[in-house]
Amino acid sequence: MKFLRFFLIFILSFYFSNANAEENDKRNKITKNLRCLICQGQSVYDSDSEFANSLKIVVDKKLEEGLSEDQIYEYFKIKYGEWILYDPSLNKNTYILWLLPILIFLIGGAIIYKSFIVKK
Amino acid sequence: MIYSLVGYYSLIIGLIIGLFLFYFSYKNFNNSNILNTKILSFSFLQLFFVVISFLCLIFSFIVSDFSNETVFNNSHTTKPLFYKISGTWGNHEGSLLLWLLVLTLFIFLFLVRTKNQPVKYKILTLVFQQIIIVGFFLFLILTSNPFNYIFPIPTEGLGLNPILQDPALAIHPPILYLGYVGSSIIFSSVLAATSLKIISTNWAIHIKKWILISWIFLTLGILIGSIWAYYELGWGGFWFWDPVENVSLMPWLALTTLLHCILVLEKKSILTSWVIILSIATFTLSMCGTFLVRSGILNSVHTFANDPERGLFILVFLFILIFLSILIFFFFHKDNDKKSFSFFWLSKETSILINNWFMMYFLSVVLIGTVYPIFLDVITSQKISVGPPFYHKLIIPFLIPFLLVMAIGPNLKWIKSQLEDKIYLISFLIISILLAFLVLKNFNQNILINTILISSALYLFFITLRDFFVNKYKNISQNIAHFGFSLLILSILFNNLFASEIITNLKVGEIFENSKTKIVFESVDQKKEQNYNAIIANFSISNPNGEEDRLSPELRIYNQPVIATSEADIKTTLMSDKFIVINLVQNQDFFNVRYQVKPFMLWIWLSVILISFGGIISFIKKRS
Repeated sequence: MKFLRFFLIFILSFYFSNANAEENDKRNKITKNLRCLICQGQSVYDSDSEFANSLKIVVDKKLEEGLSEDQIYEYFKIKYGEWILYDPSLNKNTYILWLLPILIFLIGGAIIYKSFIVKK
Repeated sequence: MIYSLVGYYSLIIGLIIGLFLFYFSYKNFNNSNILNTKILSFSFLQLFFVVISFLCLIFSFIVSDFSNETVFNNSHTTKPLFYKISGTWGNHEGSLLLWLLVLTLFIFLFLVRTKNQPVKYKILTLVFQQIIIVGFFLFLILTSNPFNYIFPIPTEGLGLNPILQDPALAIHPPILYLGYVGSSIIFSSVLAATSLKIISTNWAIHIKKWILISWIFLTLGILIGSIWAYYELGWGGFWFWDPVENVSLMPWLALTTLLHCILVLEKKSILTSWVIILSIATFTLSMCGTFLVRSGILNSVHTFANDPERGLFILVFLFILIFLSILIFFFFHKDNDKKSFSFFWLSKETSILINNWFMMYFLSVVLIGTVYPIFLDVITSQKISVGPPFYHKLIIPFLIPFLLVMAIGPNLKWIKSQLEDKIYLISFLIISILLAFLVLKNFNQNILINTILISSALYLFFITLRDFFVNKYKNISQNIAHFGFSLLILSILFNNLFASEIITNLKVGEIFENSKTKIVFESVDQKKEQNYNAIIANFSISNPNGEEDRLSPELRIYNQPVIATSEADIKTTLMSDKFIVINLVQNQDFFNVRYQVKPFMLWIWLSVILISFGGIISFIKKRS
């Protein structure tokens, strides 16, 4: 039960964070989550290719226009497809991706609890 | 020419010896003398021929024998000798020959070093290992012969990929392979032991050493790869959750789980099924890794050779091995665990089970994250990327209880335990939380999660440190490894939190200045080396305290093949790394300069060395 509470707190903290992150941090955060499409396994942030550099400028521009982080991801998703996002959103394609590990964790816990541990 | 010939026929002879070994083992299975007379000498011969073959390939590289296709594709006369040699395993064919070398080396060492075990068990282990070895011989000879001829003979080779022309990457594959392939011996041995029904505490003690060898090399191999990625790939990160990195992490996670699980088997002769499954899984994951990397399915920085046909071969081979292991598992393994056993909730057994539970979870996250995009692509032809945010979100929250159990678990007793020194445990927890809060109080991002995370890592840090002095070398290997792990997590966290970065464009002679740093782009030099030409940029970087550093990153243009790379210049000190890298911007006369200060970088490497040092101590320690 204690663990559960820990997790809840943690997951909530995701939503309350980043409120006053600076513009620059925000841009870095966004570009870290974008795949440089012409590179081999590098993020836009890490890459110095022309593609990556032009994307960095686009991100800056979108931030100036006042778009939120999610809106920017959405923009890139529409333009380049989901392949560009390193952080896949939860939808019908990715239910298994996100939930299967958690399910495995729960089942594993249940097996251990049922077959080995006896409370006295 | 002659080397290729000798090398190729050595491979054929090695394969024939492998087939012979099957025959001998089958015919004389009940004759216990066969081992020392025939089998041992045959497996030595096999090793000998593989070594010859491998040496032939190395010699072909050294003398730049371009009649050999592998040499032609991966070398050049102007390469320094060191990279000619390391080019041997810097390609698909050569690296598979190295696989084979390690496979045969391990089984030979196993036969020589294993004493006090039934002869039948040793022979059967050899048989299972030979199945793998013969599979790899066939793979090598049929799909990836390293000794293919080219005619007419080219006068010059195509050269070696520049990012592979590096000292760390020269030793990274052999060490990683020792770990990867070392797990084959665990696989063969567990199948043999299952067939003969001799899985017991005795067997656990014997196999633990082999698990440790694999584990130590795998840990060091991953470390070297990581260090290489840090200074060579030029983004200043050391782990990107890249599929090829994940592929090396998965066997590591499985091996680590096995290493803990075997402790229970060693003491109490239970959990046998689980040990068998884990041993099989470890090697299967190593094979899967080879399949994923070699087949070119993965989109990754590290993929430097691929071919679908080869992928198919490994896939089929992999299925045969899995099928065989499942067959043996279900036919021969009778679960003797049925005698009633249960663990008290507070005991060493339970804490190890919790370790296994979490490790399996981490493994499933990495596995699903790596292969899910491939399946999705095949089934729905939708491409998605799974990158660092996915892994961080799923792993970091679970790290917190994991670290806490890691601190408390080792101090528990077998069977039934009580929490001793509750006051210590609680006061350390409070100290850790306070310290973490103090460190982070001026930090406004994600403060809650970071505080919890750092306090749990600090907790592990303090508890293991205390155990080190209180327990007086009792269980020192575990102690050091756990301490190293706490240090690793702390260094990674601090490294992430307190890193700073400046990205700017500068011409020669220009100055960048902000409140904390002043970067002066002083001059540009040129350098000519045997395998590349370089532009060296000289920077002077100073801070308001008057400390000044000179850093000289390079832009290299490699000959053969002509590829431009950026070489970072890194100044490492105990507390932080200063990392600078430049890039050319096309059609402009300025350079893109990226300067990073990365605290505790050195400690990340040191802590991994500490972790593997724990393994080394456990390996050399005599059982009391």
